[in-house]
Amino acid sequence: MRNLIQLVRKDFKRKWKNPVVILGFLFIPIVFTVIFGFVFGAQGEEALPRIKILAADKDKSLISGFVLGALTQGGLNELIELEEVSEKEGTKLLDRGKASALLIVPENFGKNIWNGEKTELLLIKNPAEQFLPQIAEEILDTLTLGLSSLRHIFADELSTIHKLTDLQEFPDEAISALSIKFKDRIDGVSKYVFPPVISLKQVTLSEEKKEVSDLSIQAYILPAIAVMFLLFICNTVFEDILREKETGTLRRIRISPVNMTEYIWSKIVTSALIGILCTAALIILGLVFFSIHWGDPVAVALIVLCLNILIAGFISFLYAFVRTERQAGALLTTVFLLMSMLGGSMVPVENFPPMIAKFSKLTLNYWGITSFKKLMRGESLAAIFPILIFMVVAGIVFSIIGSYFLNKNLKKGTVQ
Amino acid sequence: MLKIEHLSKAFDTLKAVDDISFDVAEGEILGFLGPNGAGKTTTISMIAGLLKPDSGKIFVDTLDLDGNLKKIKRLMGVVPQEMAFYEELTAKENLVFWGKLQGVRTKDLDERVHYYLEKTGLIGRENEALKKYSGGMKRRINLIIGLIHQPKLLLLDEPTIGIDVQTKLNIYEIIHEASAKGTTVLYTTHNLQEAEELCHRIAIMDMGKILALGTFEELIQIVGEKDIVIITGKFSIDKARSIISAFEQAALLSIEEGKIVLSLEASKNISTILEAFFKKEITIDDVSIKQPNLESVFLKLTGKELRE
Repeated sequence: MRNLIQLVRKDFKRKWKNPVVILGFLFIPIVFTVIFGFVFGAQGEEALPRIKILAADKDKSLISGFVLGALTQGGLNELIELEEVSEKEGTKLLDRGKASALLIVPENFGKNIWNGEKTELLLIKNPAEQFLPQIAEEILDTLTLGLSSLRHIFADELSTIHKLTDLQEFPDEAISALSIKFKDRIDGVSKYVFPPVISLKQVTLSEEKKEVSDLSIQAYILPAIAVMFLLFICNTVFEDILREKETGTLRRIRISPVNMTEYIWSKIVTSALIGILCTAALIILGLVFFSIHWGDPVAVALIVLCLNILIAGFISFLYAFVRTERQAGALLTTVFLLMSMLGGSMVPVENFPPMIAKFSKLTLNYWGITSFKKLMRGESLAAIFPILIFMVVAGIVFSIIGSYFLNKNLKKGTVQ
Repeated sequence: MLKIEHLSKAFDTLKAVDDISFDVAEGEILGFLGPNGAGKTTTISMIAGLLKPDSGKIFVDTLDLDGNLKKIKRLMGVVPQEMAFYEELTAKENLVFWGKLQGVRTKDLDERVHYYLEKTGLIGRENEALKKYSGGMKRRINLIIGLIHQPKLLLLDEPTIGIDVQTKLNIYEIIHEASAKGTTVLYTTHNLQEAEELCHRIAIMDMGKILALGTFEELIQIVGEKDIVIITGKFSIDKARSIISAFEQAALLSIEEGKIVLSLEASKNISTILEAFFKKEITIDDVSIKQPNLESVFLKLTGKELRE
């Protein structure tokens, strides 16, 4: 144990004096998170920005008011920010890129609708934006289609209403007759419309899927990228084994009273400790710079501990299969990138087809990312406890197998 | 202190060490002299416990290495050919680390680190990273690491390769001091002068075998009073061999294309041999005569020169 502590202290000192590689690997997840944050344009907890539509109502009629009002009703209100402007002002603002689109309601728009004459709405899109004006166009398409259909179905009734509004008189007999007509028309249409040929089935998404959107883009990306780069950070400690083999320090250690098992476990412990420190640093940076709410601090600490035990054990296991730095570079980089791809560090696992998603669970990344995200979504320590136990047990098993084979390999490879 | 009995080690078909036996007394410096590939490093590796012998026994301080490796490791210090330390760490950090691994107490360690750094002229630079040290300074640190726990047996594997004279003398001084304090030293080298100056006894090794072992004076007796004559020129090997065999006072040590090495009772006889060469129209480019020394012993024993 005394020797193990000495070896760990020595490795820590060496890493402390030459921190460039580790700092580089720490820096990349932060940079990625910043870049992705900018690319997706979301800050804090907002997932998508609202679509700003400028509306120039040159008609100012009941119908034009109805159309503009419809754009800010219910769920659309969360998606669309509508600002009424004059046509001139709207064109100017659009030129300056201050909105996604300008909707112009022409004069006599309402009158033409009442009269059943053809009319049109004019939508000018901001060419500098790619997606948002397209969404605005789709919404207005749907709205105009709905409006046209209503105009066709209730043509007579609308004419009656138009006459009444022109006269500004609403006698009870006329209203009740109109109500009966509306009911008859609806009953008539109902046999064609109900039951609908195509129905929309409402399904509650699995909790995991549903809550993805609850996380900020940074909260989604940082843990994913962090787990990937933790693999590379922890690997720097194990790379030293092969370097020490070449420089002769390993041979000298073998001649000293230290046994090889102590030496290998010192690498596993150092790797896990450095991983823990780096993960802690990333968590703090995420909290400070991206306001990521990681969840219960005790649970976060346990995830960090268990995840790094798993990573260190797994890498020691991989080193049982390599003899040279070149072999290690090829094997470990391939395994790390493959695991990151399948485990959700590059693409969210939710986006994988079920067949590929099955393989995700074979990766370290999946368990690390899943546990962090569960916690961020407010799940309790008890909910992630099975994952923690799995990570520790797997980490220890990997370490035992890895140290056994690595010990054998080192004994073969350090003598002349 | 160190006793080797019929030690052998082969790598596939190559016999790296072939049935060697010797012993080294407490405080003695035994030089292991031989060319590259002679089996010196393999012998040291077996004594250090890095290689398992195919046959034979190794005893350190009467303990059989087989079964007592852990105990023996504490008695042993090794200075390898390569600079085996951590260059990012300072001299002091390295010495403390290796000392603690060898079980030296912190209190003793501070004193010893200071003592050896002073002895090697490195005091004042102990807090500098070793990567900033010169080659000679690194060699000194490499030596101190092997000595920091004051071992009973010190194995040195060519510790003075590529260093300046001053550093070399400093290293000799430290080794002499350790020997005077009772440390047994096994010193491998292919430098004849080094073996002559430093070692109490010398073992000449080649092709995995110990060809001769004794003090410098004892080894010189192997060639007796004979001088070593090296002749270079253009000749047919068979013709040259037949000429030399006609002279009773000359013994052919080695002959190869363009070079003849022979021992001669009195170098004045060289003129008669050269005359015989001229008569047979052999062209001679150069003739050199050497007084009996380790090189001539080595030539006599192996038939080849030992070069650094």
